[in-house]
Amino acid sequence: MKLGSFEVKLEKRVALRGWEATLISIFAILFALVVFSYIFLRAGVDPLTGYKAIFSYAFTSSFGLPLTINRFIFLLLCTYAFIIPMRAGLWNIGMAGQLYAGALSAFAVAYAFGAKTSQNAVLPAGLVIPLMIAAAILGSAAIGAIAGFLKGRFNTNEIVVTMMINFITYWVVARMIKEGGLFMGASGEGDGFKLPESIYAPLIEGVPFTLFIALGLALLLFFLFAKTSIGYQIKAYGKSPAAAKYAGISPFNIPLLVFILGGLIAGLAGYHYFAAVPGVYKITKNYGEFGDLAFYGIICGLISQGNSLAAIPIALLFGGLTNGGRFAQGKLKLGFGIDYALLGVLMITLVAFQFFYRYRIVWVRTPGKEASDVGIHG
Amino acid sequence: MLPESIKHGDTVLEARGITKRFPGVLANDQIDFEIKAGEIHAILGENGAGKTTLMNILFGLHQPDEGELYLYGKKVNFKSPLDAIGLGIGMVHQNRKLIPAHTVIENIILGHPRAGAILNLKRAGREITELCDKYGFKIDLKAKVWQLSEGEKQVVEILKALYRGAKILILDEPTSALAPPEIKRLLDSIRIMTVDELAIVPFITHKLPIVFEISERVTVLRRGRVSARLATTETTQKGLAREMVGRDVIFRMEQMTVEKGKSILHAENLVAFNDKGVLALKDVSFSVQEGEIFGIAGVSGNGQQVLAEVLAGLRKPQGGKVILDGADITHSSTLDFWMKGIGYIPSERIDVGSIGEFSLAENFTMNYYFDDRFSRGGIVDYKEIRRLTEQMISEYDVAAPGPDTTAKSLSGGNLQKLILARVLSRKPRLLIANLPTQGLDIGATEFVQKKIMEAKKEKAGILLISEDLDEVLSLSDRVAPMYEGEFMGIIPGGEARRELVGAMMAGLKPKVEQL
Repeated sequence: MKLGSFEVKLEKRVALRGWEATLISIFAILFALVVFSYIFLRAGVDPLTGYKAIFSYAFTSSFGLPLTINRFIFLLLCTYAFIIPMRAGLWNIGMAGQLYAGALSAFAVAYAFGAKTSQNAVLPAGLVIPLMIAAAILGSAAIGAIAGFLKGRFNTNEIVVTMMINFITYWVVARMIKEGGLFMGASGEGDGFKLPESIYAPLIEGVPFTLFIALGLALLLFFLFAKTSIGYQIKAYGKSPAAAKYAGISPFNIPLLVFILGGLIAGLAGYHYFAAVPGVYKITKNYGEFGDLAFYGIICGLISQGNSLAAIPIALLFGGLTNGGRFAQGKLKLGFGIDYALLGVLMITLVAFQFFYRYRIVWVRTPGKEASDVGIHG
Repeated sequence: MLPESIKHGDTVLEARGITKRFPGVLANDQIDFEIKAGEIHAILGENGAGKTTLMNILFGLHQPDEGELYLYGKKVNFKSPLDAIGLGIGMVHQNRKLIPAHTVIENIILGHPRAGAILNLKRAGREITELCDKYGFKIDLKAKVWQLSEGEKQVVEILKALYRGAKILILDEPTSALAPPEIKRLLDSIRIMTVDELAIVPFITHKLPIVFEISERVTVLRRGRVSARLATTETTQKGLAREMVGRDVIFRMEQMTVEKGKSILHAENLVAFNDKGVLALKDVSFSVQEGEIFGIAGVSGNGQQVLAEVLAGLRKPQGGKVILDGADITHSSTLDFWMKGIGYIPSERIDVGSIGEFSLAENFTMNYYFDDRFSRGGIVDYKEIRRLTEQMISEYDVAAPGPDTTAKSLSGGNLQKLILARVLSRKPRLLIANLPTQGLDIGATEFVQKKIMEAKKEKAGILLISEDLDEVLSLSDRVAPMYEGEFMGIIPGGEARRELVGAMMAGLKPKVEQL
């Protein structure tokens, strides 16, 4: 495109710096909010009022903020469950199934200690809570390992396997918590049994301690991929399985490992939501919604390009918007689905703006003919 | 447009002042040349000299920024290859553009104006058979293209061009994938074509001897310009290379005898399948000593790739043993092969030997992430690897801004230098070099061969796999021609006669007295 003596051109980027990616993402978010203003206007709401309702509830209200934080922890863990296989070039679409397996395993430990018998049962928290977490990790890692094993051994498509396991585990949970299942709650409303207060996960300043696990994982994963030999092997396999094999990196171990790690972290997300969030402490009858929410981990993972630190603000944004959007919808009497529409617009813009991760817009002076005699082309 | 009759020596195609720019690059700069009927006129140049651009302009894929093309004295302006084909220009690509699942005849008539909705295969078959008889091509028209050898596929491309009525035939690296007997047959056919007043324009990068065998005149390109126009009778290989590279080039590496040490590698009765499950390695045994280059000559696809992969630990053999320094490592992991001192330079340098999106330092890490000197307690010392990469980049003269550039930005020759630097920096006991100079220009080839000789001097055992007979013969202490998964014999390199090795590559097992 020509503008006077200048020409606007797209140029392929050689490298993308961290701050450039950040700036592009911020522009994308602003762009999405501007676009979505149109929907607010159509609904007869001043966009500023709309956004204020969403953001103030999500990030400043004493009711909304804890909900946002709990969702943020959940989303961040799901994002990491996705990121690790993603760095190996593999797609984990099975966070839902893995977190169900984690939750069931954790509650199995509680059940074994007699947690179902009474809400007031006094159980040794120092023993039961670590065991519940360990069980969540093992259960979900085992489910994750299936996809990794099949990929490594038979080169089975991991997307199909993880997806199918989601369906299986979904119905296993239903079997366990509903209609006479082993973990059925006393209320008879379709929830699982409630944990006794003595083994509620500890809160720090009202926030589940799982927040620190999630933030700790952020640093750990960053370190894993930036410094360690294992991290290097995962990345090499992700960029080129053939070259990785040539370099002695096992084409069986890497898929297995990343799915075990990914599954394990999804299991923590399951423990977090069903056993550590204040007011829940049970496998709720609407557990399927959390399985669906886990898919936002894919979006957060893709937007952050597999960077565990960049995933933090993105997961926080999505945690806040899922929460504040629903609230604003009720408060401003907006139509059904407005919150999902906002998330949709945001996701599409963020993904579309990744175009600028690879290209940049440059202004060049229209060159004179003599200017191009540099170097040789074959 | 085509004139009624063309006489021998008439100028058929003339380029005047062809100039083509790409962003930041002047690919062709004022190129003039002419082709005459019945003439074979080679265009010679290194990678990056502007050959491809010129070829694409002649074939209508690119339009020149300046300059004109004249066909039979009339100015022409090709908007696309269709225009060029319509005016009798045929192109035989190096990367064959055929449909593997179709038969030879179907490929030949594909896109022919007369092959309308209803195919008349019988008539086409008759006409193509006539062409074959005339020019001495032997090919089964009903064979599927995937069943053909590289040489046969090339014949199909040539027939396709001739069947479309080509009077000017552009050949892109016509001999690079052919076995010696196939080369001879091709040259014979081409000579018959010149009698028919066809003009033949082969584009050649690295096989200089062929220029003398094939052509009468040669135009040499260097850095986008014509650096010389010569009759082949007036020049020598050395002279041509000087025009191409701009300096003197060593052709045959000085053979040097290094005192042979003890035996490093024993391959015992190796049997292995290829990816398609076909037996590709049938009972191969040999050994390589310290300070020895063991060359394997042969046309690709005769089991060399499978052999290299078995010896690099990338493929498990069905039978036999790989013994390195006395220890049986047949069943060890690929990583063990590296750690025990095997260094492998793969033929697929882009897909296997390097990772394009990784930086050069990260590419170096491929051979060092497991090395105690660069990785302690599972933590990789990237700083140290980066330093090593920097050092090797300058030592191996890799044209790159620095260790943080991505590998995909390197040219083929520089990428090969990087891989060579990486593998040799480990000081391997046994170096396996699989087609190490394939596709490289003269300068880079010379460099790679020099480094292989240096490794030999440092007492590494070297297994050299090459399709280039001159390379194998000049570098190797012993040569094993390979055919259909077997060695046709093992003969001393220095004394090996070219003709004998060529015949063995084509499947001849000589009697002992012939050696």
